[in-house]
Amino acid sequence: MTSFMPQKRYYRQRAHSNPMAHHEFNYPVCPEEMDWSELYPDFFTGSSSKNGTSQVEFADIGCGYGGLLVELSTLFPDKLILGMEIRVKVSDYVQDRIKSLRESEPGSYQNIACIRSNAMKYLPNFFSKGQVCMLLVACLMMIMMMMVVVFLFLTPDLKEQHKWRIISPTLLAEYAYTLRVGYVHTFICTTEIHSSWWNGAKYFYLNTHWYFLYMHLYRLCFLPTLVSMFPGRVGTRRRI
Amino acid sequence: MIQTSDMSASVGFCSRWFISTCDRWLVAVDSKQDREPFVFDCSTAEKKPKNPSTDGDEGGAEETRSDRILAFAVSPCGNLVALTDDSKRLILFRCEASSWRCISVRFVVRRCTSLAFSQAEDQLLAADKSGDVYSFSVLNPDQDGELKMGHLSMVLAVTLSLDDRFIITSDRDEKIRVSCLRSPYNIQSFCLGHKQFISALLVPPGHSQRLVSGSGDGTLRLWEFESGRHLQSVDLRDLMDPEKTDNDNEKEKRLTVGRINISPDAQLIAVVCDKVSLVQFFSLDQDQLSPHSRLTPPHQPLDVTFDPEGRLWVLMDSDHSPLQIYTHRCGSWQCDTDSPDLTRVSAAFRIHWDKLDASVRTASRFDHLYVVNYDNVSEYMKKKQQRLDQQSQKRNLDQKRRPDAKKMKTPTANS
Repeated sequence: MTSFMPQKRYYRQRAHSNPMAHHEFNYPVCPEEMDWSELYPDFFTGSSSKNGTSQVEFADIGCGYGGLLVELSTLFPDKLILGMEIRVKVSDYVQDRIKSLRESEPGSYQNIACIRSNAMKYLPNFFSKGQVCMLLVACLMMIMMMMVVVFLFLTPDLKEQHKWRIISPTLLAEYAYTLRVGYVHTFICTTEIHSSWWNGAKYFYLNTHWYFLYMHLYRLCFLPTLVSMFPGRVGTRRRI
Repeated sequence: MIQTSDMSASVGFCSRWFISTCDRWLVAVDSKQDREPFVFDCSTAEKKPKNPSTDGDEGGAEETRSDRILAFAVSPCGNLVALTDDSKRLILFRCEASSWRCISVRFVVRRCTSLAFSQAEDQLLAADKSGDVYSFSVLNPDQDGELKMGHLSMVLAVTLSLDDRFIITSDRDEKIRVSCLRSPYNIQSFCLGHKQFISALLVPPGHSQRLVSGSGDGTLRLWEFESGRHLQSVDLRDLMDPEKTDNDNEKEKRLTVGRINISPDAQLIAVVCDKVSLVQFFSLDQDQLSPHSRLTPPHQPLDVTFDPEGRLWVLMDSDHSPLQIYTHRCGSWQCDTDSPDLTRVSAAFRIHWDKLDASVRTASRFDHLYVVNYDNVSEYMKKKQQRLDQQSQKRNLDQKRRPDAKKMKTPTANS
């Protein structure tokens, strides 16, 4: 039986999940023990020339319904891209979506996969130090292009910041750990609110991260290619 | 450097002073000379100044707060002692040859789980229940703490490398994180391999690149912490109690490493497990932990510590003789019952020990750390399967009906 494109209406779920709760997750004890061949069968088994040597270099944390993931798949066909989503229904939707995309267009979309996981807890279990060269985090994006890593804050709803938000000062260290060293990391804020957030006393910690430099919105014009690269997220374009 | 955490009673040595914490009392006794012991009662320490802005949300918590000492640490040179209690105090003492002095009383944001002095003795690291690690200045004893780093889950142990380059922290989520002390947002490595919370850490002197960790999964592991390489895993269940492992009950099978201590000559590592009447010793070669000897005290050991002479002081769950000294002679551990040091220390210690309720001292500090996962996937998958089944049934029905419909249609069209 051919699988049909999953219908989003069966997979709707509210956009919150408690990252501190002890959900049941499958995760490897350490990155070496992760079996990627199940997620990317074409890259790890079979006659493919890239056999065995590939590793996941792009990660989309909080990939939602996987729009960006699918978009990136065709933009970077030789990079392995992993989406991580904590919500049961949503991650299942992305998995079904990738499955049906692969079946409808054999040979393509082999480089994307989605797992249900809590990236705030288990990121180091999946990725070794410096393995990832692009990390997209739910409401912020880190894009690696020409040795520049960019963060884009996409959600301006800066509610009270808690430890369990996906970008917390102390968690940035873990993101930096998985990111490849040697690139200039840049911070782009999309609104004024963000720049005050960035400079605010509460986030002094961000300033102390030597690898995250602050860059204001108007500088964005220097990087128009970066923006046009992401037509997938409506929200992205609207805000920028 | 001695570190203890979250116990009803614990022991340690600060050069020749025997230190013990027992509920809300810190008792320090000179083991070599008859002297007035130093006793500090946390309930007499200064209270946290009331902050009107935070009073509202802390009203409920205020009631349950006790002054129980949660953790204490002794500096590497043995002249500083820090302790933290249930009322979120962080108290620093200076210990001189003959006297003790309380240098400062500071307050931490959350209850702390573990304390550690840097080798240079210029800062004191305090790890708390929300997973953050704060650094408190020793030289400037009234300065507030500075947030160094954070884990998502509770940090259970913090220690430093011997050259003060790295902070090593372990958490309830099976992770050991090695971060640079000067720039703690810079993570050197993760040591991954444990399958439960990690309750004890030790950087053995003499093996500056090695780290020994003990966990709730019943194993002791050896790491090269700078690279995060796993070198060895010792399953203590095999060593401790072979009969117990046959038991099917998951809870009964649990074994938690409570304390890892190293002798002053760095030859022997003593390991105490929660609720097990045994002290297991290991010797450490460059890449190998090998079982050395074992000691079976008459009662369940609560805590152990080595004194500067290499004798092992064992604190036990007993009303009559809570403290014992053991020395390693001719391949076995022998009890030193009539040592003058012991009588001196016991006399002062018993006064406070007797105030402690017997049920309090054996209460496990680890049981609540075992994570109870809940499954939120299988229910969804069941529902999804039902939905898919229904859909395919419907589709089959449609397919069956459609050819009929066509047949029906054709005649009507013909007619």
